[in-house]
Amino acid sequence: MGDAPARALVVDDERMNREIIVANLRAAGFETVMAEDGLQAWGILQAHPGSFDVILLDRRMPRMNGMELLARLKADDKLAHIPVIMQTAYAETEDVSEGIKAGAYYYLAKPLDRRLLLSVTEAAIADHQRRQRLADDLDKRTTALLLLEQGRFRFRTLEEGHTLAVALARSCPQARHLAAGLSEMFTNAVEHGNLGIDFDLKAELVAAKRWRQEIEARLDTPLGRSRSVEVMVDRHPDAIRFVIRDQGKGFDWRVYDDISPERAFAPHGRGIALARRLAFASVEYNDMGNEVTCIVIGPDTEETACVVCAEAPAITPDRPAAEAAETRLARSMQMELLPTPQILAEAARRLGVRVSAHFEPSSSLGGDLWGMHVIDDNRLALWLADFSGHGLGAALNTFRLHTLVAQCTPLADIPGAFLAEINRRLTGLLPQGQYAAMTYGVVDLVADAFVYAAAAMPAPLLRHAGGGVERGDGSGLPLGLTQGAAYVERHMRLSAGGLLLLASDGLTDNPMTDGSRLGGAGMETLLTQADQTTRDNADSVLAPFLARVKRPLRDDLTALCATIP
Amino acid sequence: MKYRIIDGASGPTLALSDQLLFDHRDLFEGAIDKVLARQPTKVVVDMAGLEYMDSAGLGMLLTLRDRATRAGALVCLRNPGPEVAELLRLACFESLFTIEQA
Repeated sequence: MGDAPARALVVDDERMNREIIVANLRAAGFETVMAEDGLQAWGILQAHPGSFDVILLDRRMPRMNGMELLARLKADDKLAHIPVIMQTAYAETEDVSEGIKAGAYYYLAKPLDRRLLLSVTEAAIADHQRRQRLADDLDKRTTALLLLEQGRFRFRTLEEGHTLAVALARSCPQARHLAAGLSEMFTNAVEHGNLGIDFDLKAELVAAKRWRQEIEARLDTPLGRSRSVEVMVDRHPDAIRFVIRDQGKGFDWRVYDDISPERAFAPHGRGIALARRLAFASVEYNDMGNEVTCIVIGPDTEETACVVCAEAPAITPDRPAAEAAETRLARSMQMELLPTPQILAEAARRLGVRVSAHFEPSSSLGGDLWGMHVIDDNRLALWLADFSGHGLGAALNTFRLHTLVAQCTPLADIPGAFLAEINRRLTGLLPQGQYAAMTYGVVDLVADAFVYAAAAMPAPLLRHAGGGVERGDGSGLPLGLTQGAAYVERHMRLSAGGLLLLASDGLTDNPMTDGSRLGGAGMETLLTQADQTTRDNADSVLAPFLARVKRPLRDDLTALCATIP
Repeated sequence: MKYRIIDGASGPTLALSDQLLFDHRDLFEGAIDKVLARQPTKVVVDMAGLEYMDSAGLGMLLTLRDRATRAGALVCLRNPGPEVAELLRLACFESLFTIEQA
């Protein structure tokens, strides 16, 4: 379980039932919130969408019943990911099938068995957190695997499988679901395949909380050490094929291929079915059950916006646990400051401007931040800031800046005044020796101009449709140093098919593996050489740099690309 | 980063060489302590030997400027090489420091 106690929403119209569940969950260390019917639960969830780790849902209730609430939950982006445990009677297998179809994967039989209540609730939360962690990891790793056409990988441990799943998923469309899907498949290959842990034994191990221990022990036997899982990847224009082969004696996969009503009440055994539902267009086992072929359809050519967040691979492993937890929390808060896919989609829809970014802090926390704001149907504000230093101090400054930027919205369309105001508010706020560099600009499709102001940033670059690259000017007094500093507004002429690139000095100044630095000239070369036939996103523009930069990064790296329609 | 302090008639010169990076801030703070302990009215930072400085280096120069100002001393940056000069120009440091090219 995570750092804070997990919180459950218990929805049941019968007071006795509700209180039994709540008493048991509280005794086990959960926080609980109660609702008397679906409608009340819906109200609570709407007001606090990020507050619950699991929902225990009764089926028959007045006003809004369990199935109606379930349908609403699964149709809501902010709530769809919360695992739902349905309470139902054993006999009602049709109800269970219906629930599974609607997206409830966990079941509790009535009358409630205390032990099962806890194990199913814990399993639902653990499965969910594992997928969330995968999704988080996914956001934070860069990969050269985007360039992979065909490959063969071999791994032995669950940890290696996890790493591979994340890396492979990053190179594919719908990466978020794919990471979960591949990870389930890889885990199966290790535990059920190579290590021979079957469904019943797993149930025992999970109940005794000895599952991971047993896996480790089995991995460390001569047999465990000798066996590995092989993964073959083939990328075709319209599909990606993964073949996963273990060295076990196979298993009866047919039983696990769907979430059957009979198994719906068990705390585990959903991996394969979930993987299939989440990630793959098809999942086919060989007859013996030790080789599975999974197909992903894609790439999705309609996908217009992407944000790539990446994390330095070397997070100091010996950092004290408490600090690591704080850093994790701060980092996830910082990630939440970044523009959401919805904002990127809004810019694409209203202006036809496709914005993409590569955001990669040098340590676990960064001093970089970027943002965007759709001013109206013709104007889009883009900004990128870089606080001196990195780590927690610099990250805290990015929180300050995020608030300041929001407060300066009335000046959003006047870049010079905007930076001057940010400077005015930051001066005196920052400790000695700290400052911020920032570019703030407005893409104006009526004036056909990028109007911007800068404070000590690498020059913005604009590639015209013809291929020539124009260099702006990023000079200006850093923010937060002197009260009353003024910022010049500069212009770049935009034309259809242009590509704008803004970057922090992490792009120009991070050393490469050969010790050289890209510099402003190298940044221009990146943009000149980026293949104009492929999609112009930050990742593909940066690809040659990302392949050569020395890791862990010495300085935070942020780059934004905007395509001009 | 490496540094030397050279005492001259018009005050101390802090001569920097190699690279000035984020990792050197403690070392640089120590150098500021030593320079200001001389109670100068002017501090010259000789940048000729400095091959490279990153944005954290700008921050350290600002710290030097703040502390020197409070101690009643002016800071003058002397002979930055082309890369360092470009960074100083980018950050408009000519409005904060005297920058001399000998």
